[in-house]
Amino acid sequence: MRVSLSLTLCVLLAACNRTPEKTLTIAVNAGVEGTALKLAAREWGAARGVRVEVVELPYANLFEKEQLDLTSKTGAYDVIMLDDPWFPLMLQGSLIAPLPHPLDADFIASCVEVCKDPKHPDVHFAVPYVGNSQLFFYRKDLFAKYGLAAPQTWDDVLGAAKKISAAEKIFGYVMRAAPGNAAVADFMPLLWAFGGDVLDASGKPVCDSAGGVDALKFMLELGKYSPPGYAGFNADEVSAHLLQGTAVMSINWPAWIAAMDDPSKSKVVDKIDFVPMPSERARGVGELGTWLLAVPASSRHSGDAFDFVFWATDPPQMKQAALRGNPPTRRSVFQDPDLIAKFRAFPAQLSSLDAARPRPRTPNWNEIENTFGIYLSKANAGNLDPVAAMHNAAAEIAQIQQRAK
Amino acid sequence: MKTLLRYAAACGGLLIAVAPVYWLLTISLKREVDQFAYPPQWFGFVVTLQHYGNAFRGGSFGQYFTNSVLLAALSTLAALLLGVPAAYGLARFEWPGHWSENIGNWILSTRMLPPIVTIVPLFLMLREARLLNSLLGLAIVYTAFNLPFVVWMMRGFFDEVPREIEEAAMLDGETRAGALLRIVLPLVKPGLAATAVFCLVVAWNEFLFALILTQTESAMTLPVGIASRVTQYEIRWGEMSAAGVVAMLPVLVFATAAQKYLVRGLSLGAVKG
Amino acid sequence: MRSRRIPAGRIPSGLPWVMPAMVVLLALSIYPMIYSVKVSITDATGAFTLANFTRLFHDRVFGAATLQTIVLTIAALGIEFVLGMALALLIDSLARARAVFRAGLLVPMLLPPVVAAVAWRLIYNPQFGALNGTLRWLGLNTAALTWTSGENSALLSVILVDVWEWTPFVFLLLSAGLQAIPTEPIEAARIDGAGAWRIFRDVTLPLLKPTILLALLLRAMDLVRIFDQIFILTQGGPGTATETVSLYIYRTAFRFSNFGYAAAMSFVLLAATMMFSRGLMRLMRAR
Repeated sequence: MRVSLSLTLCVLLAACNRTPEKTLTIAVNAGVEGTALKLAAREWGAARGVRVEVVELPYANLFEKEQLDLTSKTGAYDVIMLDDPWFPLMLQGSLIAPLPHPLDADFIASCVEVCKDPKHPDVHFAVPYVGNSQLFFYRKDLFAKYGLAAPQTWDDVLGAAKKISAAEKIFGYVMRAAPGNAAVADFMPLLWAFGGDVLDASGKPVCDSAGGVDALKFMLELGKYSPPGYAGFNADEVSAHLLQGTAVMSINWPAWIAAMDDPSKSKVVDKIDFVPMPSERARGVGELGTWLLAVPASSRHSGDAFDFVFWATDPPQMKQAALRGNPPTRRSVFQDPDLIAKFRAFPAQLSSLDAARPRPRTPNWNEIENTFGIYLSKANAGNLDPVAAMHNAAAEIAQIQQRAK
Repeated sequence: MKTLLRYAAACGGLLIAVAPVYWLLTISLKREVDQFAYPPQWFGFVVTLQHYGNAFRGGSFGQYFTNSVLLAALSTLAALLLGVPAAYGLARFEWPGHWSENIGNWILSTRMLPPIVTIVPLFLMLREARLLNSLLGLAIVYTAFNLPFVVWMMRGFFDEVPREIEEAAMLDGETRAGALLRIVLPLVKPGLAATAVFCLVVAWNEFLFALILTQTESAMTLPVGIASRVTQYEIRWGEMSAAGVVAMLPVLVFATAAQKYLVRGLSLGAVKG
Repeated sequence: MRSRRIPAGRIPSGLPWVMPAMVVLLALSIYPMIYSVKVSITDATGAFTLANFTRLFHDRVFGAATLQTIVLTIAALGIEFVLGMALALLIDSLARARAVFRAGLLVPMLLPPVVAAVAWRLIYNPQFGALNGTLRWLGLNTAALTWTSGENSALLSVILVDVWEWTPFVFLLLSAGLQAIPTEPIEAARIDGAGAWRIFRDVTLPLLKPTILLALLLRAMDLVRIFDQIFILTQGGPGTATETVSLYIYRTAFRFSNFGYAAAMSFVLLAATMMFSRGLMRLMRAR
């Protein structure tokens, strides 16, 4: 019995200790963006004879895993996908490697901005891969029915929501206000349109300015025409309402455009139109949400890693990715006639991207977004007065900034 | 009449216990359009096996499953190899003062450590030993998990075997180790089996350590895989449930087999099953 | 069990048997704890600081997390005890099919917690989940039933999942306890004409006390450090509504990369768990 036990142990140990061959490990976001990169990686690996391992992780987990790998320098990942708000934090500890050469001019400027080191703007640390910026989705058929033009300002939006919801018995507006990223992402365009911001140039919180408070009050107004429980909505609930035809308007990301026109998922095929963000006191801008590709400083295969990253963001590859559902970050790809024919919203997306504004560039964004999101959600759930919410948020954000010094 | 009510209540309890599991099973077998249909389709829906195919053939769940199996087996084996002699040593030998009890209690108290307390240092330790993101590294951690439990359980079983049995064998020229192996262990075989089952189940169900200590799919386990079907915009319920169903089957089988010892194991031997 | 005193200075002969296990445990539990201590008293530059511990006192989120953990523990314990006791008595009183009921009732606690949480997350979805769907089909208005998506109902929803998952555990333990207690006192009381409730309160309960305490202590230990289910169900949200101490520690360590503060909080959690386990040890030693 002892012999058979030891034998079993040895077999198990051997099974666990598979020696790794030369591999390039890529960490991607689970979803459309990651799938496109995964397919590209396999093609590249097959052509170059390098084994590519793609790790797909959900959004929140992706950050944790990447951050842990970067800070403890385990070298587990050779290429990482990162959401642009994570960039300042990863740059701070010199955790990502600078690009061997700067990005060319074909890349859209707003996307390149978030790849730069603010202290040395000519050094780039990441390559933009998915050019995401928010668009305003609305039911053009219903607007036509009630003689309304496409909304230009937020007042237009509110007016349309009132009118159509009364007449049609559906929700005039739908938004997400689940605490955290969801609430903040849907609030930023409003905040900016009212002339407010989260932080000023020196990093001091200014969300409790007049513009900020007015923006939140306006959000609560819109909330009256939104489905109940929206203070707990995430992206999928918002899109579900649009797809099911139970809501008229919302802020949304281009990733959902394809679904809107897909008969197997949507009841409103060809009825939704996409325009840039409405204005109010300031010009309307969508929030920027680009996915970047970077190479960790601790990667042991940085040569191959950069090779892959530049290959995957070349115009032909980017066109492929676009066909797979990823908005590009190159102007030439956006203006490609084949793609424009296939994606009717590309011109709107391009102009939105050109004007898009990134979230505040601070290494503490995770914590700040977390706190800000909680207060926004509380206000929308009716648990907190908007003025108090903004004041408390500002106070806590100030504490976060203070602690990080 | 009262008896009927009692049986009805018991059936009600049973229904509540099993319904969510049944629902999970149905989600894994339904097409996406039906998963969230209204009214909820508890019966009579169109059956599809695509989610199982997507998860296991196309997706990485086959890998996760293999990893979970290897991990559970390896850590259980190691825990038994280390823990059984330790339990025997504590049960059979003379110890000064209250050593035996104290060592036993100390060993047990390591089981009480909240995982979150040790997870970052363990991450760094494994990194130093180059065992991060490897099944071997995770197996070592799981062995440490299961060890206190093995010691506690087996010690109770050893206590029930009269010393005279080995002493007789040793008088006949048998060594202490030989006596343990050839005489005592066969006597506690059921207890050993139950302990092994507990270790397997603990390793199979474990989540937090696997979540943090693995970085790529070559080392990820079933629970981690199931939890990661959440994308930024949607949740792949079909795959998640299919994986969940497969993840729970071995446990249900094993644990039902070891049902007799469930109480003793769960109450750390305080209540005899 | 004999524990003869052996002369001081002589190495106990059982030591070599125990050593390998102890070495592994020492390496994998003591060393990490020492490391955690070091991390919690060092700041970013490496200097000694108690800031991580002082911060605990005015961190409102930590206070809220502690409160939520306590509320969750007490509520879940209470419900699990009452239901578990009721089930134990109920199944015990059935003449047949006891084994079938027992096997079925144990299913929730045998599942991987991650799987149970996934199933409930599905069921709890306010728009498309089975729970609200079935209630709506039965005619109820489910607009206010936001379960895990609503800030005010999330904690209760999490508690209910834990109750579903672990009442079988309490049931099992109490059931075994019921089998073990002598039947004479109960018989005697019944002959004396005492009603079922009187018998339960004055005879059964006192006899069951050790088992009850055991079940409560074991559950309390696990509830205080609950993590897996909440991670899957709500990730601590909405906001911080279901954030228990374990989850706050996790978030602080891995999302905000603040390992020092996370370590400091872990020690508080450890202290709480040790308190319960000490109670458990004392109870088990008392038999």
